Amino acid sequence: MPTIIAAAAVLVIALLPQVAPWLQFVLTLAIAKGFAALGVAVLLRAGLISIGHAMFFAASAYAVAFLARAGVNDLGLLLILSVLGGAFVGAVAGAFLVRYRAIFFAMLNLAVSMVFYALCAKLYGVTGGTDGLPVPVPAVFGLVLGEPAFKSVLFYLSLGLMVLVGLAVRRYLNSPLGHALSAVHTNEIRLEYLGIPVWAVLLIAYVVSAALAGLGGAIAGFAIGRVVPDFAFWTASGHLVLIAVLGGIGGVPGAFIGALFLELLHSAAVTVTDSWNLIVGMTLIIVIMFMPQGVYGLFARKEATSL
Amino acid sequence: MTSRGISIGVARCLSSLEWLFGLNRGVPQGKVRWVVDGLAGALALGVIAATPAAAQEKPSALGLGIFTFTSGPAAAYGVPGKNAADLMIDEINAKGGIRGVPVSATYVDEAQGAQGVIAEYRRLTGDAKNQVVIAALSSANCLALAPLAEQLEVPTVGWNCDTHQLLMDGKSKYVFRPNGNTVPEFIAYAIYLLDRKPDVKTVAIINPDYAFGHDAAKIFTAALKALKPDVEIVAELYPKLGSPNYQTEISRLATARPDVVFSNLWGADLENFVRQAAPRGIFTSSQVILALGETVLQRVPLPDGVIVGVLGDGWWMSPDAKAKPETVRFAEAYKARFGEYPVFPSIKMANTLIYVKAAYEAAIQKNGGKWPTRAELAAAMKGSQVETLTGTAQTRADNDGLVDQIVGVTTKTPAQQFPVIGDMVRYKGDSLMPQAGQDPLAWIATLKPEFAKSLPKPGSYK
Repeated sequence: MPTIIAAAAVLVIALLPQVAPWLQFVLTLAIAKGFAALGVAVLLRAGLISIGHAMFFAASAYAVAFLARAGVNDLGLLLILSVLGGAFVGAVAGAFLVRYRAIFFAMLNLAVSMVFYALCAKLYGVTGGTDGLPVPVPAVFGLVLGEPAFKSVLFYLSLGLMVLVGLAVRRYLNSPLGHALSAVHTNEIRLEYLGIPVWAVLLIAYVVSAALAGLGGAIAGFAIGRVVPDFAFWTASGHLVLIAVLGGIGGVPGAFIGALFLELLHSAAVTVTDSWNLIVGMTLIIVIMFMPQGVYGLFARKEATSL
Repeated sequence: MTSRGISIGVARCLSSLEWLFGLNRGVPQGKVRWVVDGLAGALALGVIAATPAAAQEKPSALGLGIFTFTSGPAAAYGVPGKNAADLMIDEINAKGGIRGVPVSATYVDEAQGAQGVIAEYRRLTGDAKNQVVIAALSSANCLALAPLAEQLEVPTVGWNCDTHQLLMDGKSKYVFRPNGNTVPEFIAYAIYLLDRKPDVKTVAIINPDYAFGHDAAKIFTAALKALKPDVEIVAELYPKLGSPNYQTEISRLATARPDVVFSNLWGADLENFVRQAAPRGIFTSSQVILALGETVLQRVPLPDGVIVGVLGDGWWMSPDAKAKPETVRFAEAYKARFGEYPVFPSIKMANTLIYVKAAYEAAIQKNGGKWPTRAELAAAMKGSQVETLTGTAQTRADNDGLVDQIVGVTTKTPAQQFPVIGDMVRYKGDSLMPQAGQDPLAWIATLKPEFAKSLPKPGSYK
């Protein structure tokens, strides 16, 4: 039954841009943020809150811009290289960050990401400062596409990736390596006594989550067509945590549900009033107060009772 | 557009029912199949009928997408722009709209950042009613929207963004800017300063810490160095945008004791800086240049002799503006409705709307009275020369605008309670712009002191 619901949801998302073409961009962006929020959610399994994941999101988006400037002009190659770039930054930062827990982990992530943000904004000659860098439309397997066609390709590609990567992450979370994350959360010392290196478990999780954020960043970079330092600002990181919590920490779909919910809410609120921040904020308070399990919790709970 | 999409979607769903339930196989279901087919067919016919035949027919209403800051700190400029747009659109509609078609605006808040701005741009331009978009205030947003405008082929007019990078490649077909850019805007201050204070030796710069602040510092310094090579920059300070406290920077300025303090702070930042710097004597120890100072004249008591300007010709009390009855009427109506006289972002917005209206009229005339398409509108903007509230906006071959630059110093007048701009100069728009396609900083480096001598002098614009 859940598989059918999920398939139906994906189908609805795939068809929505046929009804309202402008939604295609919003949905692409929502999926991109969903990937990043999924990265945050992976670490949340181990009880680690990262308020700095926008750094990997931005690092990968900047990687796309730099690679495109250096002459790489293929969607697949750009995506793979930039995700590897995000994962590499994750491996470097993770190597020392995963030794910390709780508030120290959160704050150090925040600090490192703000250093990254400041570099992007200040290295004017390299990164274009606050005006950012352009991301050109790349070729798709050698095919040079027009802008609208490329954006459709990007949308359906991200949708496909959402399903594939989502399944892969679910597989990962159900593997011993994934279960070790919850074990870190409950009793870290016991895990060490069992002979499982906590540092390695967390570093792998950290790199996976950075790569997920990187995938999101690369897609967002292509969709927006410009990379600006704001991608790495701490509010963007907070936004990702919010999406992860909003959607529900329980499972993989939660992150994407949260991202879709927040993006669509934002789009709707902006069209209504200038005080769109107020509407978004109020809705978030309501969701957090009355749906502690997140939006995904609504479905998950029903599932549990039907068993 | 949306309704058309929905009906297509429903039609597709209906036809997929046949496939899903195998309606086309069994004989007993034949009738159902007929019904479904009929429904789908009827819907498809409806879709074709509802599709507008062409954009050539005169629409019943004309939509404009207007991008400006309506929340956050940048609303200090965004809201005067929005106010001016409201007023100008009311004025246009009171005179029967554009060729009898009433104009209405949809405002988009730029404070959402590039992502939200792009989403809204796509949504608005997906509707054929919105033929033109006026975007944007922020340079970063203009740069983000420019490639999109070219790809979607929507005429997009930058009303306030002034980065010189926007139209530098000279390939734009759909992006226009009937304003000057950062190059003439900040060279003008260097020339004015050297005319007014030829013996200047030391200069300090305090600009906001983002691209606009850094660009301005680079251009102003390059122009000073080219025109008077022995000038020394003794401090370059870049406080964070939106910073409430400037005491550290002011201390640096006080100890450096430069001859000149240059700043392109703006909005609430500028007000804060002036209120904190004035008691500490910065305005008496140094000649201060506030490049965007006109916007705070009505709000903070600036001392006499501060060099201020409007980044263009949009000063509502300039001699040219006062000579035009519609400008005087606009300023008074603005004051009556919003409690303050217009500031230069308001004038820039009003001028941009005049520019768009002129483009419509030119395109309709060229078309023999038929309503223009988006491409025809863009063609009408190309190379146009439009009479605005405060001067003329000439569009070059690279779509960048040429407008005059007004610079002056603050002075008192019995006619107003707040300081006004006196001892003015009005530099011709083309005299301070590099040729299309030329690298601006390389061009500035070629300037010679004789270049400044050929230009009008302070006080010449009366």
